[in-house]
Amino acid sequence: MNFEHRQLDNGLTIIGEVNPNAQSTAVGFFVRTGARDETPEVNGVSHFLEHMLFKGTNALSALEVNNAFDRLGAKFNAFTSEENTVFYAAVLPEYLMDVSSLWMQLMRPSLRDDDFKIEKNVILEEIAMYKDLPQFEVMDQARALHFGSHPCGHSVLGTNESIASLTADQMREYFSRRYAPNNITLACCGNFDFENLCQLAKQHCSGWKTMDTVRKTEDTAGTFQSKHVTNINLVRQHICLLSPAVSMQNPRRYAASLLGQIIGDDSGSRYYWALTEPALAEVASMQCESMDGTGVFYSYICCDPDKTSRVLSTVQELFAELCKNGITEAELEAARNKTLSALTIKCEQPMGRLVSLGFNWVYNQQYRSVKEDVDVVHGVTLDDISNLIEQLNPGKFTMLSLGPKTS
Amino acid sequence: MMTQKTDIYQLKNGMTLLGERLEHVLSASFQFLLPAGASLLPEGCCGASTVIADWLFRGAGQRSSRELIQALDRLGIHRNASPSAYHLSLSASLEAGNLSEALDLYADMILRPQLTAEQFELSRQLAVSELQGLDDNPRQKAMILLYENFYPDPFGRPAVGKLDELKGLLFKRTAEIARNIFNPSEVIFSICGNYDFEAVKDQIEKTFDRPSGKGLSAQPPVMKGKNYRHFPTEGAQVHIGIMTPAPLAVSDAYYEMAAAVSILSGSMSSRLFTEVREKRGLCYAVGASYKTMKDHAGIACYAGTTPDKAQQTLDVILDQFRILKNGISDDEIQRAKVGLKTSLIMQSESTYARSSGIAADHFLLGRIRTLDEIREKIEALSVDSVQECLRRHPFEDFTVVTLGPKTVNL
Repeated sequence: MNFEHRQLDNGLTIIGEVNPNAQSTAVGFFVRTGARDETPEVNGVSHFLEHMLFKGTNALSALEVNNAFDRLGAKFNAFTSEENTVFYAAVLPEYLMDVSSLWMQLMRPSLRDDDFKIEKNVILEEIAMYKDLPQFEVMDQARALHFGSHPCGHSVLGTNESIASLTADQMREYFSRRYAPNNITLACCGNFDFENLCQLAKQHCSGWKTMDTVRKTEDTAGTFQSKHVTNINLVRQHICLLSPAVSMQNPRRYAASLLGQIIGDDSGSRYYWALTEPALAEVASMQCESMDGTGVFYSYICCDPDKTSRVLSTVQELFAELCKNGITEAELEAARNKTLSALTIKCEQPMGRLVSLGFNWVYNQQYRSVKEDVDVVHGVTLDDISNLIEQLNPGKFTMLSLGPKTS
Repeated sequence: MMTQKTDIYQLKNGMTLLGERLEHVLSASFQFLLPAGASLLPEGCCGASTVIADWLFRGAGQRSSRELIQALDRLGIHRNASPSAYHLSLSASLEAGNLSEALDLYADMILRPQLTAEQFELSRQLAVSELQGLDDNPRQKAMILLYENFYPDPFGRPAVGKLDELKGLLFKRTAEIARNIFNPSEVIFSICGNYDFEAVKDQIEKTFDRPSGKGLSAQPPVMKGKNYRHFPTEGAQVHIGIMTPAPLAVSDAYYEMAAAVSILSGSMSSRLFTEVREKRGLCYAVGASYKTMKDHAGIACYAGTTPDKAQQTLDVILDQFRILKNGISDDEIQRAKVGLKTSLIMQSESTYARSSGIAADHFLLGRIRTLDEIREKIEALSVDSVQECLRRHPFEDFTVVTLGPKTVNL
């Protein structure tokens, strides 16, 4: 595998990891924009805009776009988070140039009023769908509680109200500021020719105008508040805990990710032995999410409403014990091995590699081979983990509990 | 297409070993299909497979629950244990270098599980909790109810269990089921990735050289036919499940039907996505897929929508199912073909997908299809062949389930 990198005059970055042995190729546009870049008046616009890109250009209708992707057999989609909007497709190598050319055209969408109106209904249905999924709803509410006034607490979907009042003009204005070439990375993985891809990008994307794209990236400790939200229609208690972790720019994010796994992997972790194995909770997981300039550990626990207080006191004891005695070498070794096998499994397919490749560049303007990632994971020591526990104190958290219980 | 090497071997005791080697990966995935699925359980034990799937990991051979989990984790094994209608499937993906140690651990779990009463109670409680948790996941619950109402009994029995039966499940009876699931002539082991088949074969031959347990036997099916059931809940959406009969995987019509489903719902240019979501904005989630069990098959469709749009959503979907036989375009068949081919090649890159794929082939068809054979079948699809298939197997009878605040009319 070899890495390639190029930048067009207008700031569009093109990166590639070429693997001639791959059977397929994956390509993606990584736009550095998401809910944290929105004002309250346009909350949800990044995600809505992601949908609108599929509605076509001045030359292509929505149906023509979908037909074109499907004629190439593309496995294509997009996702929006608090800070990224990513459009991707995996195809057989012979279709890579066609599918890339299609994405390049779609990155300058026409954002028609009629399409905007119909798609608004789809977004409102998506919001309704997540309202029926408390495991997502609790995350959304907990993030808002934890981040307080920090922009990372913004909801990705927005609310019924913010979406209902959003206008197509507001979306166009947001698009012109955020989808500037200097705010976008084009990444490609698998079996392909990098020079050809660059030529194609030059042809389609050179006319895109550079803009000032700023983002506030200050860190935040979080609010450490606790809140119970009652919904008598629910059957289980859904609990979300958030505490500070490290940013994507921080080299200690590998250690933080291992710590998250040691505490909250779905098997063999501290949560597993304290909560799942003794059947106190049917789900108990913790992950480290590193973001731009900040980061959080988040835990999700699902249990019998009557066991809520026992679950929460068990969690408190677990963190007290962790802070007092740290972790063992065996725990670290298991977490390392699970992470390493996840890496090798992900590497089987170009699509599995694309997101890591793209995000390493978006956050750190850096290429990291799988080998480098493996070495860093191997190099994490018990001391690294102890220092993190001491510094981050994961037992101090924001808590939101959603369920039928009134307190 | 990569060169493909498939190994098949039958142990003296009747157990089947299947393998497919991939040179360019560092990983391997394997799967044990044990004949202990939901349809094979004795009356009154619905959910026992789910309990057993958890219980097997709570101590085996000389290792306690904690020691077993630690041993699996030390090897970095990504694992799954899940029951279907026919099988309890234990699958694992890992770095290929750890394969031999991992197989020894799985041999312990399958042949020498400790099955203590104390651990049984915890596994049972977890299964009860998970079942209750389904009420907070109406989309998944709607589909489980759909399968239960579509498939003839016992094939639609929910693998997650039924509340009264799980609550009344007894330790002794469940332990007896668990001890009898190693019925070698019905067990399939499959592996894909960077491994040495001879070494795997020798190891399995040695570790699994065991006589048969009694096994579980299927009961004669009770047919259900088309029906509509509504399950009232308070929620933001009505969750609609629709299912209609289709040819079996072994049937000549299989590839034609797969193409028809692809035209209906294979991607964003498909009929359902275009008519329900793109043109009318009725749903965020709408889609259909081809579900093939050994002796029963159907096309299952899901849509979730706010209550006022539920009736229109159902009407548009059923209409799309019914009019498919009236004509499909050449462009649609071309898109379906390239979509099916691409999925096939991409699956061939994933060790997990291929190890599951060859095991499913062996069970459903009694043989493993090569990737070339599948490709040829896909290439041969035409507008005429798909339309002929739809004329012979029209979508007419629908089983419908709704979950939510509003009913619909059929």
